[in-house]
Amino acid sequence: MSRNVRISEVGLRGMVGSGLSAEHIIDFASAFGTFLGPGAVVVGRDPRASSVMLREGVIAGLLACGREVIDLGLVSTPVLQHAISRASAAGGVSIGASHNAAEWNALKFLGARGTYLSTAEAGELLDLYHLRRFAFVDWKNIGKLRMEDDALDLYLNELAGAFDFAALSKFKILVDCANGTSSKILRRLNDRHGFHFILINERMGVFAHEPNTSAATVALQLAPLVDPAGADAGFLFDVDSDRVAMATEKGEAVSEEMTLPLLADYLLPRSKGKLVITNLSTTALVEEIAQRHGGTVIRVPVGRQAATDALAMYRPDEIAVAGEGTGAVMMPRFRFVYDGIASMLAVLSMMRERKARLSEILDGYPRFSILKGQIPLTPQRIPALFAQLEHRYSDGRANTTDGLRVDWPTKWFHVRVSQTEPIVRVICEHRGVPPRMLFQELMDQVRQYAS
Amino acid sequence: MPREHLLKIGVSGIRGVVGPFLTPQLARAFAQAFGTYVGGGRVVVGRDTRATGPMLQHAVHCGLLAAGCEVIDVGVLPTPTIQLYTGAIGARGGLAITASHNPPEYNALKLFNASGLFFNHYERGELLDIYHQSAFREATDICAVHHEHSAPIRGHFDRVLKQVDVERIRARKFRVALDAVNGAGSVMTPRFLRDELGCELHAISIDPEKPFPRVAEPRPDTLVELSQLVVENKCDIGFGQDPDGDRLAVADEAGRVLDNDDVLAVAVDAVLARRKGPVVVNLTTSMVIDDIAAAHGVPVLRTPVGEANVVEGMLASNAVIGGEGGNGGVIFPAVQHCRDSYAGMALWLDRLAGGTQSVSELDSALPRYYRHAATVALEHGWLGTLMQRLAAQWPEAELDRRDGLKLLLDGAWIHARASNTEPILRLSVEAKTEARAEELFTRAKEALSLSAPTPAK
Repeated sequence: MSRNVRISEVGLRGMVGSGLSAEHIIDFASAFGTFLGPGAVVVGRDPRASSVMLREGVIAGLLACGREVIDLGLVSTPVLQHAISRASAAGGVSIGASHNAAEWNALKFLGARGTYLSTAEAGELLDLYHLRRFAFVDWKNIGKLRMEDDALDLYLNELAGAFDFAALSKFKILVDCANGTSSKILRRLNDRHGFHFILINERMGVFAHEPNTSAATVALQLAPLVDPAGADAGFLFDVDSDRVAMATEKGEAVSEEMTLPLLADYLLPRSKGKLVITNLSTTALVEEIAQRHGGTVIRVPVGRQAATDALAMYRPDEIAVAGEGTGAVMMPRFRFVYDGIASMLAVLSMMRERKARLSEILDGYPRFSILKGQIPLTPQRIPALFAQLEHRYSDGRANTTDGLRVDWPTKWFHVRVSQTEPIVRVICEHRGVPPRMLFQELMDQVRQYAS
Repeated sequence: MPREHLLKIGVSGIRGVVGPFLTPQLARAFAQAFGTYVGGGRVVVGRDTRATGPMLQHAVHCGLLAAGCEVIDVGVLPTPTIQLYTGAIGARGGLAITASHNPPEYNALKLFNASGLFFNHYERGELLDIYHQSAFREATDICAVHHEHSAPIRGHFDRVLKQVDVERIRARKFRVALDAVNGAGSVMTPRFLRDELGCELHAISIDPEKPFPRVAEPRPDTLVELSQLVVENKCDIGFGQDPDGDRLAVADEAGRVLDNDDVLAVAVDAVLARRKGPVVVNLTTSMVIDDIAAAHGVPVLRTPVGEANVVEGMLASNAVIGGEGGNGGVIFPAVQHCRDSYAGMALWLDRLAGGTQSVSELDSALPRYYRHAATVALEHGWLGTLMQRLAAQWPEAELDRRDGLKLLLDGAWIHARASNTEPILRLSVEAKTEARAEELFTRAKEALSLSAPTPAK
């Protein structure tokens, strides 16, 4: 069975040429043009070669629906999200597969104000896609395409309003751009605002390594260079720079799980809102840090969809920070948009205000060890797998809102089916040394149910 | 009810009313079929100035890129310019997004092979098979889109100008009127006439951002403004283009728009004066061509209607000039095997520069024939009956059945053929005298309409 294309509430994602086709692209873009309320649609893409093909199809479908299309060219998703809001556009399409491997690509659909679609909206879009009854306009009303190249500068202006550029530009920072759109942003911060970012893997398009933000990827090329470069810290972005992971000044690779707890620690004391919204797969360190500052953690199922729906349930001033263990974090003070660049600047602000090195801040937290694995799934056998796990670990506190999460006082695991890839994900964490036995046990059980 | 052809997918490619009928989905699929057929590699894409052009071009790019092609986007350019560039750079093929002379709500894809020629019968059939089966190439390595606009223009100018006496034309400083219908020639044609050929230009409808200000097909009844322009500015000649710059209409110094067959005839004469060789025209082109060819001692070959058919005939016979009289298409292979208004304009100006005759004098010097044309609504299933009825009217006629039915009579002919794109029968008649033409036309029309069931309105 071909599982090279995934069509879901999350959008459209697949391997170009062996699953994701031009037909999918134009149909989805036409459905989106049909779905949105009145207004323009903003489009941006990541530097993958196939993004050019996706762009052409997206623009064609939107123009046919009579939409004015504003093309920002090569931009990160956060820059695109800001632009949607600024232009009061009806929505936007982010073309790019973020942290997925080079042969993948995807369309992410954004509503007015640049937020991800709610589950209800995404469901409606999906229905329109399946119906294939599109609101194409009369030839006289076909939309027009407009290129806009100042989106990045306007985004940087907004960043400058939220962070103290003069102070932060004193840091010397090594960045692994993972050949993504972050290089463009950081290069401009250097040129226009006097920052000292030293960039590696800056060339866009050809990936020097897998474009994810795992600790292993941090350790691959970034971490070993931080100390020799004399940098104060190292940061790794994914291709569309909504996720970020770190390396300390000593060259230690930090798990991407640490981005959210670190920012919760920084933002909770400064924020009126005391809520931290995260998903079931994210480290329990978040709870410990929230407790220190009188915060409350709300855990929702994994994925943009659940996070978007959860965020909508609270007033923005009730929320201190929201994010995932993937290194994607959003801060209400700088829009509800996962933004790796803003996250990095917040970490640097924290270092400056505390007059502490990154390793020193991290040393102030109890040690948690997380292990992550994945196994290809056999969909028919998933229910039986979960039944077995629930039975076997009935001594813990079970949460079944997204697969199965079981909590014990000092450890937890989460087994779930990925929404974006045909795999089962296994995550397991322990306060202290890595929970290798439990992890192995879980992996073995899942494997029994795999093809 | 008469059938409405708002979308047509067939051997001529894909054509339709954009929006509800010709969708980005169809354009993408057809382009991907094209990309599959040519097997990847470089493909040239351009378009005319229709409002729906950019949308369809993005869809076409999407399909071509998905099939693994590298796209050379040449932007808004005349069809012959796109064709010439396709052949010149050794691309695998080319696509023009244009519905040519059709109304603005239509758009279409014209398909060219590696030589920049229209797909022939076999190529079209194979492409259509790929399209119908959706058996598309799905590339995993996606190529880029490149932009190139000035090289195709320069290349086209150079090829045309090499075939005429440029100095002779420039020396005359002709006063020329132009109506470019705000089409693909809007920017390029003024450059051609003014900068390259030294004409004093009086131009209207040369804003590619604006809609077509008149019926897109350049005919005497649609070029009223051009006629006025010629008279007001005392021009030597007026040129009218269609939106994709392949067809050409000519007005004389009095503002009278010439019959399209005569436009071709003068171009044929101009070419044959410089070189001898066969002439190829379609079955509905005037006998005036036969007279001119006879005067130069060269044969005339006739083909079914359609540019691709005439081009195939020209390639097979090594013709030196050809075209389709009825629609103002001059095909001058020394430039390229395609209908080309630039070749037509250059040949006309060269002919004027070579002597002292005015346009009206050149026209009136042509042998005079009288022509009538009409369209008759056609119901499915009646074509054969109608044709038999027509043939029965003139048992003495020699019959040519290559494209509908052509009856060759003494000093006259009658041609009836079903349109490839519309549910109609096209009837043309030509004779040496007006009375004869009138008589043949009336009888033919009666024969074709009497037995046809009148569609309920």
